[in-house]
Amino acid sequence: MADGLTGNLAQLALADILKMLCAGLQTGRLELSEGNARADIYLKAGDIVHVAAGHQVGEGAMALIVGWQRGTFRFESQVAAAEVTITKSLEQLLSDAGRVAAEREAIARAIPAGDSTPRLSATVPGGAITLQPHEWLVITHINGQRTIADIAAAMGRDDFAVGKVVYRLMAAKLVEVHTDAPVVVAKATTSQAFFRALTGATAAAVGPLASIIIDDAVEDLGSTRDSFPRELVSSLVERVASEIRETDQRVHFQQTMLTALRQFAA
Amino acid sequence: MERGLGQISLVPAVGGAFVCSNAGDVIVSTSPPLLATATMNNIGREIARAFSAFEASGRPVSRLDVTYDTWRLFANDIGDAIMFVVCHPGVDAAIVRMTVDVATAGWHKDAKIQKRMAQHKTSRRAAITRTALDERSQQVWQLIESHTWPGAQNAQAV
Repeated sequence: MADGLTGNLAQLALADILKMLCAGLQTGRLELSEGNARADIYLKAGDIVHVAAGHQVGEGAMALIVGWQRGTFRFESQVAAAEVTITKSLEQLLSDAGRVAAEREAIARAIPAGDSTPRLSATVPGGAITLQPHEWLVITHINGQRTIADIAAAMGRDDFAVGKVVYRLMAAKLVEVHTDAPVVVAKATTSQAFFRALTGATAAAVGPLASIIIDDAVEDLGSTRDSFPRELVSSLVERVASEIRETDQRVHFQQTMLTALRQFAA
Repeated sequence: MERGLGQISLVPAVGGAFVCSNAGDVIVSTSPPLLATATMNNIGREIARAFSAFEASGRPVSRLDVTYDTWRLFANDIGDAIMFVVCHPGVDAAIVRMTVDVATAGWHKDAKIQKRMAQHKTSRRAAITRTALDERSQQVWQLIESHTWPGAQNAQAV
């Protein structure tokens, strides 16, 4: 039934595609691509049984792809998985993958790249510190010259696993991380097309005050239309909705903007 | 109601949703249910008491957002019942709240749904009895009711 299902992740979120396929008790392979990255998710009678992305499989692979918001998908039914790497329910899998993805993001913020070089801290940390065996193993590889990628290769582990340990050692003030390359974090901003859609929907509810209400809400969120962060668009819509007093109009506005938010999610 | 809950469960990072009466009885939940019925009943009862406590202190609220390490619970007062949404902590809360508003807006106008809710209608205060609360909770409840809260609106002791 779902055979030939194709589309864009910007239009239909991965979680929603999986919910639909699981609810339909589908068997087959969901192929995903985002830029040069590819991933496959295998289902068997509505259960996710295997995920592969790059060199990773199972939950690690799921954590890599759970945040994909762009790219394409294609479902091919009746393709069986070569192995079983997932035994959790979809809800549990998405929840755990989301948590791991958030953890990856936190680590990526502190340790920007695999070519970062950890060094033992020159200052003496206060109080007693307990180390786990795998943390000590990482410390033994730190010499101020090896990068995280080098250490991972030497230990036969992936960058993320080593980065996670280094992150904990940084928190314990045992290790400092240096990166040669300056870190430039570009925040995604909201398109003017979205503001036009928001203005149109707001004007339909409150009339000519729409632009003023939106500008006030943008300002309340500490930004401007030109530099408005994409991650705050839903909060902006909610603030604008709260200014619409008439219930039916407010609900209609929310309905319109929820659809728009899905479309502009890319 | 099932369709409304279905819409909510389609929001990314939402695991499921359910509606409890003011006494904590489950009226409807997404299928398959995310939690055991007994767990949903417990959540329903406790959150109903929390809403009552806010009301008794003269500071009524219509939503509660409880964040745990691995999950997050949104409770929405919908009058004769409470709607719960169970999510991943990183969920887009604004999207969840607006989707709940949209999903429940039609319920107030739907005679069938109103009839279904009416079958479970109970007063939230009725669920707060000496037998339902342990000693400590009873003391806290008496304190809430007897205290005159600064800036409180509609404060009244029952």
